[in-house]
Amino acid sequence: MAAVPQDTGRELRRIVRTNEEIKRVVATAFKINLMAMNAIFLAKRAGQTALGFGVLSNELRRFAMDLQKQMSQLREMTYGSVSTITALVKQARLNRVLERTRKESTGVGRSLIDEFMRTRHSLTFARHREQIAALNRRLSQMIADTAQLVELGSVLARSAKIEAAYGGAFSASLMQVSCDFERTIGDIQRSLESLTKRQDASL
Amino acid sequence: MKTARVIYEDGKHKWIALVRDPNRPDYLIDSNEYLVVDDDDSLLLDPGGNEVFPSVFSALSTEFDPRKINKLFASHQDPDIISSLALWLEFNPQVKCYISWLWASFVPHFGGNKETFISIPDGGMDIMIGSQRLQLIPAHYLHSSGNFHLYDPKAKILFSGDVGAALLPQGEDDLFFGDFDRHIRHAEGFHRRWMGSEKAKHDWCQRVSQLDIQMMCPQHGAIYRGDQVRRFIDWFSHLEVGIVKG
Repeated sequence: MAAVPQDTGRELRRIVRTNEEIKRVVATAFKINLMAMNAIFLAKRAGQTALGFGVLSNELRRFAMDLQKQMSQLREMTYGSVSTITALVKQARLNRVLERTRKESTGVGRSLIDEFMRTRHSLTFARHREQIAALNRRLSQMIADTAQLVELGSVLARSAKIEAAYGGAFSASLMQVSCDFERTIGDIQRSLESLTKRQDASL
Repeated sequence: MKTARVIYEDGKHKWIALVRDPNRPDYLIDSNEYLVVDDDDSLLLDPGGNEVFPSVFSALSTEFDPRKINKLFASHQDPDIISSLALWLEFNPQVKCYISWLWASFVPHFGGNKETFISIPDGGMDIMIGSQRLQLIPAHYLHSSGNFHLYDPKAKILFSGDVGAALLPQGEDDLFFGDFDRHIRHAEGFHRRWMGSEKAKHDWCQRVSQLDIQMMCPQHGAIYRGDQVRRFIDWFSHLEVGIVKG
């Protein structure tokens, strides 16, 4: 029982860090969306020579939008975790007061507290712990799905680099844009790797 | 733990004071909690803060079955009054808490839901405990803007919340006191600072002067008995309140 408050505090800090990482990815996904729009305009200006690049820019924009959607679901999920963990922290605090009450009570009061704590502990803590475990499993699954989506983005960025080589007079500008895509998506991949590591440690 | 002291008993009608925990940390203000019992029914007055719950619960259970606590009265919204609410609700989720309508949406931050609270209108109301009718007496702005005291006409006891409170030094912290002049020195600073309105003070003095009070039980300090009650009302009516010294 004594381990519960520490566990919940650690769990809450972990969720806060996860949420911060998710915010970083959301901001980056927004940046990719703007970059993709600029790339579409650039491809239009380049005309015939950048047709393939234009198609890939459209795909990258769709990717950025999918990523934003995915990340907002992740944020909702972490919010759910915060609610559950907060409830657990509150329960743990009540539990500490009840433990003190048990120590101070004698006779009827003591046996009443004993009985109450037994029932309460098995019901509330078990339920909250199961909720947290289920949330963590779903969070891990969603991070894995997001990593797959980002892998697709990475492939698109590499293909855009190849297409940029055929961009004629616009080749240098298109290459610059493709490299920006690749670097930004690389940042997201690193964020997701760190999220995955944190999740693996919690399971 | 605190001590449960029966301060009034007439057949099945009883007042129990839960007072003076020798192990109370000095950073927590001392508080008195009172339980009014009539037959099997009861009302716990200003149940106290989260931190004193163990002490209140253990003292209370020496005199009364805590499972039967189903009504609480909070004179106002302060944490030393009602922050233990969530713990009482753990024991009995059906517990009802009487509190000024002004605080009925603030105090749920301590616990409870829409069903938990019974809002007291500004003019006060009566509460039935067993076969006894208790009166909730308005005491707004003394010190809280939504504040009530409780009068028991059978026991002739007025629970006066923060009015009459005294911050007693060690060694002078008996539940009852003898020398009024000596005692009231410990109440003066508290009343000057915590009581915010001269008008509210005069209204209250006028209102309670009309009641037949044998005992006035504050939430902090000692209980006033007999003539001490009249002397307190007189003293309070002449005290300048709502000021910061220095």
